Amino acid sequence: MDTTKQFETRSERVVRSYSRSRRSGAPAWWLQRITGLALVILTVGHYILMHYNPVSGHDYGETASRLSSPWFKGIYLGFITIGMYHGLQGIWNIVRDYKMKPLVGMSIFGVILVAGIIFVAVGWNTILTFDPLKP
Amino acid sequence: MSYTPYREPFSAWNKLILAYRRHSGSWAYILHRLTGIGLVAYLFIHIWALSSLTHGRAAFAEEMKTFTTPPFKVGEWLLGALVMFHAFNGIRIAVVDLANGAKYHKKLLGAVWVTGVAVVVLMFFLIFSTDLFAK
Repeated sequence: MDTTKQFETRSERVVRSYSRSRRSGAPAWWLQRITGLALVILTVGHYILMHYNPVSGHDYGETASRLSSPWFKGIYLGFITIGMYHGLQGIWNIVRDYKMKPLVGMSIFGVILVAGIIFVAVGWNTILTFDPLKP
Repeated sequence: MSYTPYREPFSAWNKLILAYRRHSGSWAYILHRLTGIGLVAYLFIHIWALSSLTHGRAAFAEEMKTFTTPPFKVGEWLLGALVMFHAFNGIRIAVVDLANGAKYHKKLLGAVWVTGVAVVVLMFFLIFSTDLFAK
């Protein structure tokens, strides 16, 4: 590398900044804010409806009647997906704060990715194959 | 004679903990991470547990019998504290990052605590309403 060179031209700087932005993490940063703000509404609503109401969240009949609405199904498919994305992106964010060998980092990333995909699939399966008439 | 550097006891842990300087914003940062990890762990259990919906009414009712016992209800209420802190502090993060919140982030943190505690206390009465006010 030429260490005597002190300055870079404008075009060199533009090229450098663009080639870096490809892996700058900025899209993930924005997605974390956007999904987070969506989840504030979804999660707090979910809590008031399901967990703090002593009856509605734990009753099969009420669950079945809610799941008969395609709107409810659609919102909950999205809720599971963006909730899982936001959570696992957060975990990966924490992991990345610690120094580790690339192979260890890639392995942790793989575990996070596979676990996320499996559990989103389990959640979607629950909603989409739910049969209210099953005894 | 060789020089032995002075090592503080538990220096690794000291480093890890002191890396998060002990100011209010840093406590919010630590708590945001810890509540985030807790919520992701809960999300996995939650998706797995609710997949019993596909096993029919009897299996679901049997499971809910366990989940409506007092220890689980207390756990559900405390889980709400994690959710409320993470949600309100998440709004604070968004305001600091995307608006001019850096100038009043301590006041925002105060608001996070006041609203969070108020909501969690209110939710105590909602979640235990059937136990507290039953005739």
